[in-house]
Amino acid sequence: MRRPDRIYRALLRLYPAEFRDDYGREMAQMVRDRATRESAPRLWLDVAADLARTAPKEHVHVLLNDFRYAVRMMRRAPGFTAAVVLTVALAIAANTAIFSVVNAVMLRPLPFLQPDRLMQVAEKNDRLNSPNYGASVLNFLSWREQQQAFEELAAFGNGTFTISGGGDPEQASGSRISPALMRVLGLAPVAGRAFTDDEERPGAAPVAMISEGLWRRRFGADRSIVGRAVILNGAATTVVGVAPSALNLLTGGDVFAPLVIDPPKEVRLNHVIAVAGRLKPGVSRQQAQSEMDAVAARLAATYPEMKDWGINLFTFFQTFVGPSLKTGLLVLLAAVGFVLLIACANIANLLLARAAARQKEIAVRTAMGASRSRLLRQMLAESLTLSIIGGVLGVAGALAAIPAINASLPPNLLPVSDIRVDGAVLAFALTLTMLTGVLFGIAPAWQAAGADVNDTLKQSGRGAGASMRGRLRNALAAAELALATVLLIGAGLLIQTLLNLQRAHLGFEPRGLITFQVAPPTSAYPLTTKAPLFYRALIESLQSIPGVRSAAVSSGIPFGNGNYTRSPMIATGPSALPPDTQVPIDWRIVSPGYFQTMNIPLLRGRTFTDSDATTSVIIVSQSTAKKFWGDADPIGRALHRPTLSQALVVVGVVGDVRHTSLNQEFPAFYFPMAFRAWPLMDIAVRADGSPEALLPSIRQKVHELDGGLAVANERTMEAWIANSAAQPRLNASLLGVFAAAALLIAAIGIYGVLAYSVNQRTREIGLRMALGAQPSGVLALVVREGMTVGIAGIGVGLAGGLALNRAVAALVYGVPPDDPVTFTGVAVVLAVVALAACTIPARRAARIDPMVALRDE
Amino acid sequence: MLSLASLHILVAVADRERHGYAIMQDIAARTDGALRLGPATLYGSIKRLLNDGLIEELDERPDPENDDVRRRYYRMTPLGRKVAREETARLAKLVKQARATGLVPKTT
Repeated sequence: MRRPDRIYRALLRLYPAEFRDDYGREMAQMVRDRATRESAPRLWLDVAADLARTAPKEHVHVLLNDFRYAVRMMRRAPGFTAAVVLTVALAIAANTAIFSVVNAVMLRPLPFLQPDRLMQVAEKNDRLNSPNYGASVLNFLSWREQQQAFEELAAFGNGTFTISGGGDPEQASGSRISPALMRVLGLAPVAGRAFTDDEERPGAAPVAMISEGLWRRRFGADRSIVGRAVILNGAATTVVGVAPSALNLLTGGDVFAPLVIDPPKEVRLNHVIAVAGRLKPGVSRQQAQSEMDAVAARLAATYPEMKDWGINLFTFFQTFVGPSLKTGLLVLLAAVGFVLLIACANIANLLLARAAARQKEIAVRTAMGASRSRLLRQMLAESLTLSIIGGVLGVAGALAAIPAINASLPPNLLPVSDIRVDGAVLAFALTLTMLTGVLFGIAPAWQAAGADVNDTLKQSGRGAGASMRGRLRNALAAAELALATVLLIGAGLLIQTLLNLQRAHLGFEPRGLITFQVAPPTSAYPLTTKAPLFYRALIESLQSIPGVRSAAVSSGIPFGNGNYTRSPMIATGPSALPPDTQVPIDWRIVSPGYFQTMNIPLLRGRTFTDSDATTSVIIVSQSTAKKFWGDADPIGRALHRPTLSQALVVVGVVGDVRHTSLNQEFPAFYFPMAFRAWPLMDIAVRADGSPEALLPSIRQKVHELDGGLAVANERTMEAWIANSAAQPRLNASLLGVFAAAALLIAAIGIYGVLAYSVNQRTREIGLRMALGAQPSGVLALVVREGMTVGIAGIGVGLAGGLALNRAVAALVYGVPPDDPVTFTGVAVVLAVVALAACTIPARRAARIDPMVALRDE
Repeated sequence: MLSLASLHILVAVADRERHGYAIMQDIAARTDGALRLGPATLYGSIKRLLNDGLIEELDERPDPENDDVRRRYYRMTPLGRKVAREETARLAKLVKQARATGLVPKTT
């Protein structure tokens, strides 16, 4: 009889404490009573069923009661409730929106079959300090023959296609891909078929696939497109299939053709393609890397030009999410998290002030038998109710904002196209909401539940509890300021970075330039013969347009989407470098008027002329000249490529130009276009007035020369540059918004603490004034109290900024991450804001009428 | 609407005050042992009936049958009586309707 009793008492622990306290004794007595008359199996079966049915129910009852009570309390203070719910909603919305971007870019798996088994196979050159170089077609062939680690390797490279026949010709960007690429990625065509392995052989019938996007946009997802013939680059080509949009993540464009491999036409050092491979099951990345190292060593032994080249494997994640994007996103996520923390601290402060006002209510409930844990739970239920309502509103806000975010992000900024709220984002928002509720609720709840009943009921609540609460509130306000300081420092650094980038010395004049691309088919315009003549005629024709100051052609204008070409070069003859030192140099093919059109200054020698077609001459940039020959005169000296002995003689030196990124310049040299053209060329036109106004006449002039040519990517130079500053601009503007929000909330926080403190101390201040204190003294007293908190917070924030500045170091340009001006400026701004926030309550304190204050008590 | 357990409890305390175990025994006897309320089902229902003011709790006192145990006794309130009457009337009407459709044989 004793044992069943003990067991049942243990089982009673499964019920909520209140229920157990109320009825536990009776329930145990009942089990004892029944044990005397019923068989044990029957009794315990009954008890077990009873327990399973009722224990969860009783818990839900208690919870519902708590929440019902919480809603009642919220109704009683609608202004307070609205302030808290809105703050939480804004913070959760911002966090959810940023997290949805992080999720899409960094967490969601890439849309390929088993993406973690996919590798980018790149060439590397340690002597050039280049870990990630494109591959050459010949090396790709050798790798394909020799490797065992991958199920298959596939290559792809950029291509430009002119679609003609019917309507205006259109230029489409696209790619040439190995037939194996779709297999490697695990992708199936949306309609039709993928390429067959035969179709990469020279002489195969021309075929193409189009992108899903083009298929839907241009052809209304019409399946009869499969099998249709189009004129692609002047040749009749059959469209065999529609490629899924996932292929566009890897290789851009709307048209795909097989990468035709014709080994006799290839050069082993011509790094023009990218290679992807799928690891065989059970093969690790390290095993694959060491096998490819062996392959590279064999190739270096066989082909002398491969001496310094190796092979590097990168995961697809590394390839897609570069370090600056990753850092940028994480910094933004941290920043928006800081805003949430500041909001939490502020709400906790509001709740603390309110807990003080509710002290009597709580003391009465305690006196009536509510346990400490019961009170704690009740208070947490209140804060959770607040945070859940805020969280739901916040997620709704994020859902509404995400289409706008998608639309406002510059294209190509992120390696993904669809940012959306999925299960992971919802789980994040839910967790964050719960954490928020606990975070801002725990301190006030603990305080309230711990208040001494007798103390509170007897006196008017200025005992030990009140002073501890005051300290807690001060600490929270200081923490808010500290977090705001860190955010403001980050925002300051990133805004300066953006300004520096916009002020960066580009080396050319972007204003007044409009650019476009043409890609005359190489069958009709061979690159070394007809193409240069075509461009010369085009330039002359463009320059005849009224309002055009000059026009020029380049294989890749700065910041455009033309050709980015870079080769290792060696000085022929004496040099400032050790003999045979290879230096990677950017090169472009340009028409004679290029430097004048771009406003790139000629520093020495001469620019190109049309008669430079026969000789191997180049123009180098200032930094190229400096690198190879120091201060010596570079005119007449020469460079050559590692495998070709042909000397390229320097005839001129021009200023340095930023070609690819705003934050660094790279040595460059230029070939004359008369020598040879490139399949796709950029054309730059300098206008006297507004460059956009010239576009209709530009299109007309191109079509006069060849009605089958498409004019593509018409854009002003300034638009190209703005595009390349998109990420810094996004970083700076978002962080700026977060910092402003943080500053505002923190200012409200310190104001709230002081206003409450002045209110509580009305009597004390009145007494001081009755005893002769001057209003100015009272003002100083309150301001001193507020600024002590303020200075402490700012100090901690400055230290935090110093500790965290390594995180933003990768994102800043032209300003040191511990820039003393920024740090000082932020400290001053925050001190002024804190002072302003102190002034209002301080002036109220100074106006206290001692007689009124003393009579009130 | 009352739960079945609550209605049975009201019926059990309709004619006299009873303690928890007696309520349980009464219900079991009236249903020929078909309904035996478990301890938490019983006291959970009692708690809600108390909250809704349908029954009231009397002072604790010793059980006359077993006087070393103090028991809490419950009895019906006027509100409880009204609610129980309405509920049984509703059920009676339902039974009558069921008979009219021939679902249940017409015996008294």
